[in-house]
Amino acid sequence: MTKKTLEIYSVELSGTKDIQQTDKGNGKEKYRGLKNCFEPRKNHYKEELRKEVDLDDHKLSIKELEKKYDTNIITGLSSTQAAELLARNGPNALTPPKETPEIIKFLKQMVGGFSILLWIGAILCWIAYGIQYSMNTSSSLDNVYLGCVLALVVILTGIFAYYQEAKSTNIMATFNKMIPQQALVIRDSEKMTIPAEELVVGDIVEIRGGDRIPADIRLLSVQGCKVDNSSLTGESEPQPRSSEFTHDSPLETKNIGFYSTTCLEGTATGMVINTGDRTIIGQIASLASGVGNEKTPIAIEIQHFVHIVAGVAVSIGILFFIIAVSLKYQVLDSIIFLIGIIVANVPEGLLATVTVTLSLTAKRMAKKNCLVKNLEAVETLGSTSIICSDKTGTLTQNRMTVAHLWFDNQIFIADTSEDHSNQVFDQSSGTWASLSKIITLCNRAEFSPGQESVPIMKRVVVGDASETALLKFSEVILGDVMEIRKRNHKVAEIPFNSTNKFQLSIHKTDDPNDQRFLLVMKGAPERILEKCSTIMVNGQKQPLDKNTAEAFHTAYMELGGLGERVLGFCHLYLPADEFPETYTFDVDTMNFPTSNLCFVGLLSMIDPPRSTVPDAVTKCRSAGIKVIMVTGDHPITAKAIAKSVGIISANSETVEDIAKRLHIAVEQVNKRDAKAAVVTGMELKDMSPEQLDELLTNYSEIVFARTSPQQKLIIVEGCQRQNAVVAVTGDGVNDSPALKKADIGIAMGIAGSDAAKNAADMILLDDNFASIVTGVEEGRLIFDNLKKTIAYTLTKNIAELCPFLIYIIVGLPLPIGTITILFIDLGTDIIPSIALAYEKAESDIMNRKPRHKKKDRLVNQQLAIYSYLHIGLMQAVGAFVAYFTVYAQEGFKPSILINIRVEWEDSNVNDLEDSYGQQWTWYQRKYLEWMGYTAFFVGIMVQQIADLIIRKTRRNSIFQQGLFRPQYWFVAVPFAILIWVYDEVRKLFIRLYPGSWWDKNMYY
Amino acid sequence: MRRQLRSRRAPASPYGYRSRLDDQDEVNQNYLADEEEEAEEEARVTVVPDLEEEEEEEEEEEEEEEEEEEEEAKAEEKGQGQPAGNAWWQRWQIVNEYLWDPEKRMSLARTGQSWSLILVIYFFFYASLAAVVTLCMYTLFLTISPYMPTFTERVKPPGVMIRPFAHSLNFNFNVSEPDTWQHYVISLNGFLQGYNDSLQEEMNVDCPPGQYFIQDGDEEEDKKACQFKRSFLKNCSGLEDPTFGYSTGQPCILLKMNRIVGFRPELGDPVKVSCKVQRGDENDIRSINYYPESASFDLRYYPYYGKLTHVNYTSPLVAMHFTDVVKNQAVPVQCQLKGKGIINDVINDRFVGRVIFTLNIET
Repeated sequence: MTKKTLEIYSVELSGTKDIQQTDKGNGKEKYRGLKNCFEPRKNHYKEELRKEVDLDDHKLSIKELEKKYDTNIITGLSSTQAAELLARNGPNALTPPKETPEIIKFLKQMVGGFSILLWIGAILCWIAYGIQYSMNTSSSLDNVYLGCVLALVVILTGIFAYYQEAKSTNIMATFNKMIPQQALVIRDSEKMTIPAEELVVGDIVEIRGGDRIPADIRLLSVQGCKVDNSSLTGESEPQPRSSEFTHDSPLETKNIGFYSTTCLEGTATGMVINTGDRTIIGQIASLASGVGNEKTPIAIEIQHFVHIVAGVAVSIGILFFIIAVSLKYQVLDSIIFLIGIIVANVPEGLLATVTVTLSLTAKRMAKKNCLVKNLEAVETLGSTSIICSDKTGTLTQNRMTVAHLWFDNQIFIADTSEDHSNQVFDQSSGTWASLSKIITLCNRAEFSPGQESVPIMKRVVVGDASETALLKFSEVILGDVMEIRKRNHKVAEIPFNSTNKFQLSIHKTDDPNDQRFLLVMKGAPERILEKCSTIMVNGQKQPLDKNTAEAFHTAYMELGGLGERVLGFCHLYLPADEFPETYTFDVDTMNFPTSNLCFVGLLSMIDPPRSTVPDAVTKCRSAGIKVIMVTGDHPITAKAIAKSVGIISANSETVEDIAKRLHIAVEQVNKRDAKAAVVTGMELKDMSPEQLDELLTNYSEIVFARTSPQQKLIIVEGCQRQNAVVAVTGDGVNDSPALKKADIGIAMGIAGSDAAKNAADMILLDDNFASIVTGVEEGRLIFDNLKKTIAYTLTKNIAELCPFLIYIIVGLPLPIGTITILFIDLGTDIIPSIALAYEKAESDIMNRKPRHKKKDRLVNQQLAIYSYLHIGLMQAVGAFVAYFTVYAQEGFKPSILINIRVEWEDSNVNDLEDSYGQQWTWYQRKYLEWMGYTAFFVGIMVQQIADLIIRKTRRNSIFQQGLFRPQYWFVAVPFAILIWVYDEVRKLFIRLYPGSWWDKNMYY
Repeated sequence: MRRQLRSRRAPASPYGYRSRLDDQDEVNQNYLADEEEEAEEEARVTVVPDLEEEEEEEEEEEEEEEEEEEEEAKAEEKGQGQPAGNAWWQRWQIVNEYLWDPEKRMSLARTGQSWSLILVIYFFFYASLAAVVTLCMYTLFLTISPYMPTFTERVKPPGVMIRPFAHSLNFNFNVSEPDTWQHYVISLNGFLQGYNDSLQEEMNVDCPPGQYFIQDGDEEEDKKACQFKRSFLKNCSGLEDPTFGYSTGQPCILLKMNRIVGFRPELGDPVKVSCKVQRGDENDIRSINYYPESASFDLRYYPYYGKLTHVNYTSPLVAMHFTDVVKNQAVPVQCQLKGKGIINDVINDRFVGRVIFTLNIET
């Protein structure tokens, strides 16, 4: 099976080559779309793959290798040689994805969004000053200051945004450093440990079980070495390695070990043939960084919003510029109006607010184990409509666990929850006693020492997945397994190998009255059954007849059908007369019986789903998110897990299921009847993009099994063609192109590779699917709250804009100054709008469909119109009333203000008459104008409080949502009164007794 | 074959037509086309060649969606020579349809009913808003007296202004060139029309000097005003010397104090005017004659009752006759008010209690 997967894998890896051949061959445009989707990167792919094909070191003999790399397998490289090579080829590390220079990033922040508009404003200010200066050298510096303030605003927001971005990338930098890698290398005939980074081509390295392979190596000598290539292939099955050349493809031959894969057991010596980015994994990583990063939905939304606001600002600005010019205003004045309109329209503080809001949510999510790398990804998760999830580790616990037992003709269910706390199956039978003994004894796995305090399920075990499962299972039920093994001393052993398909060991028993040796055996059930002539039922040996054999087969098929890995167990007490205590067992000659044994039972194992996952999948479903499983695992296992976590719901069937139920051929089934589909990588390979589209639209529950990580990319692209926002989970380096391609790539924090983490937008620190769901919730909430924030912020724009328009057309004294506007935008409004980010959800946000990328915009027509033309207008009118009140009370009634502008602003007119005939100097008017600013400002502020309160909810009443309880406002009131009274008393005594002790001490 | 193709394509583009319309909505709302949408446009163009073949097979297709696509395909064919014009044509079509869609009888993506509802709602909304504003302003005016401003502290202390005033406080003129000073004379003459003796005698009363002219009684009652005759200004009245001394290089400048409702100078201490060189040699001005000779504003012109009732109020003036000023050089002059309750040293406001101007008389 393993080999087969590798074939699929390799075909996919050289995908484009394949496609081109088909194109040439029969012209059938089967892969047309596929080619299309690869097209932009074709050259890239080709280039990378050619390099890979060139690799032929696995075919060379050791002598040739030594010659090629100028090394010696005994003495290794000399340190001078190594230093030279290191200098020439660079360190052996994955170069982080190409980063745009910091200065470019910074400059981008400086001109993005509204910045360009504000720059224009600032420059206009300076131009206006220039014109003023050329006319009158003593003109005021107001415009210069305003220009500087605007520039400062842009620079500060730019720095802020830049800092935020830099901070989120820094997290990755620390991540890279968290994995120190050492390599045991032979140089100058000496074994030494050096940082893996310093490895060079030709180095001879030694690897032991547990090590990560520090570079691409050609294995020279191997002792029972097995590697876990999961990070490369996504296949978690351990693969044996040897020093023989077994396959033409370097990916499949057994004598190559890949950089970053793990050696599970055994030892090996190898020669480094590729380092750093030239390794297979390095090539894939650089391929991944070649995939363009998609713009996040929130970035698109914000851009959309910026466009709307900028459009409004520019069009109103230009319109009024023209109006002003045609009203015979001077160009200088018109420019100043333009500045005012731009400043009033642009919500200067909003982008910073959005960034803060997002980072607050990111922080909150980090606490829930979602580490957000790219701030904007916070929201992306909320708009996700399809999640393509890994199986291993994400949906499952990523460890084999005993799920079922079969003995005494019965299937028992074992507890597969995370802690195995309650094993409830019947343990009284004699058969169980025997079975448990076999499980315990016929097992080579051992706990690593010094873990007594660690819960059993979390202990580190040396051994393969199945044996680990059995060890933990027996440790939980029987207690100290090591002790049991010690008591039942092992005298001989045949380890598992793929030809025998069984494992056997012979033990002295711990029963002092029983001098017989116990032979225990486990292995593939059919092989075990072949070797048996009896079967144990209820602790009694019975002959193995047809009926029992049948029962065995039924049970075997049933367990196999659950996608579980089944093992058979049998034993035999060797007769004491034939095998006395002193008998020497020889495993080579097999001087002991290996047939006519007694069959005891079956035991099946599976990587069980995490207990939180079914619930999370249900939540996703009710949230309208389609969960697609993409796994490299066997379809049956994949389907079984999918069913148990609810990705395939209990009552839905696949085409195959229907066929089976109705006893008809698969082709006859009406495809519309099936809701679920299990698609293997082989099938996927033959699909045209149209077929894939059809598959994705027609089935609500899809499992992709036996897929290679490359196919993940195709699936992601297929989903994106459905206009879906796709989240992809992945851990392997090979997943990184898909992670990058996805709208939001989610890397696994524990199992994930550096490349995957680099490509991802988010890291799940606990590898748990359920964390994604909390992320989705936060994402949706933040989208809603951003809407509120923006609505709040936009409202006052009208109140800020109207004064300028009225000023130009009606010629009133300016109601509010540009600096005051900036003060609102950057001062008083920032904190309330950030506060809205903390608003709790109004309804169950997890019960509605994900937003449609194109239709449910962050800033839609309704929001803009309601904010601008309803609330905004009321606010503007309110502020104007405040303004008119101030002027009227000071003597200027509204009627006289009309068209007063020119005289009002002429600093030479110092006897301007008001409605009462009083005459005002220029400065007195100016002072009044500032009072007007204040009144207008306060007017906006007061109404913004109401605006803030109404923005808390969009549908519910504020009273449903709840405010800070008003009675708390009054708790401190007595003290406020006390303060006031106390101070009045103080001042009274100061006035009454000037120069007294009280005065000296209390007057300040 | 054809059916097959269709059904195969159908799920692929359920949003094809709609999303395009949606995009267009946004284009219209926001004339700055999103880059994003531009990219889509491109993507669409790459797809079209596939569609074209299908469309050519059967042209008669009644479904609206098909029509749309066909149109596009046709347009594509037509515009192959000029792809840019084609894109614009497509856009124009979509915009046109957005403006008026005859099929659904919709304009700007709204039906007539929707439009009329909107109009009604907005009418009522804005009408009630206007009502609220009117109410507010009405209450505001109820609280404001038409005779006396609610607050006067901003306009106190009084400012000072001079005449003639020609948008500048620099008096540059050449005695021998009447063109350079003629406008001052015209300005002064114009300004003093209201002070003509005949007019004053006719309209105003001659009230006793040295004391306030207090007219208690009803606020609404019209108030009488004290005479300030042009002839009080003697040499600067323009009666004897119609050029106000400008022709001889001895210019007259009139100074008036800003009117403030209810302002009363300190009793028995009328506000005096005194001028001197602001910066530079004190002797640049060797003599100034003031008219009236007291160089003060008589108390009888106070208080001022506001223009509604104090209709004919004439602001008192003090004329400064600069009889001997250094010629051919700019002389900065500062005239200050002096008296109790008068502030004349506000740094920011150079017109409160003082006025600064320059005389540059050329001969």
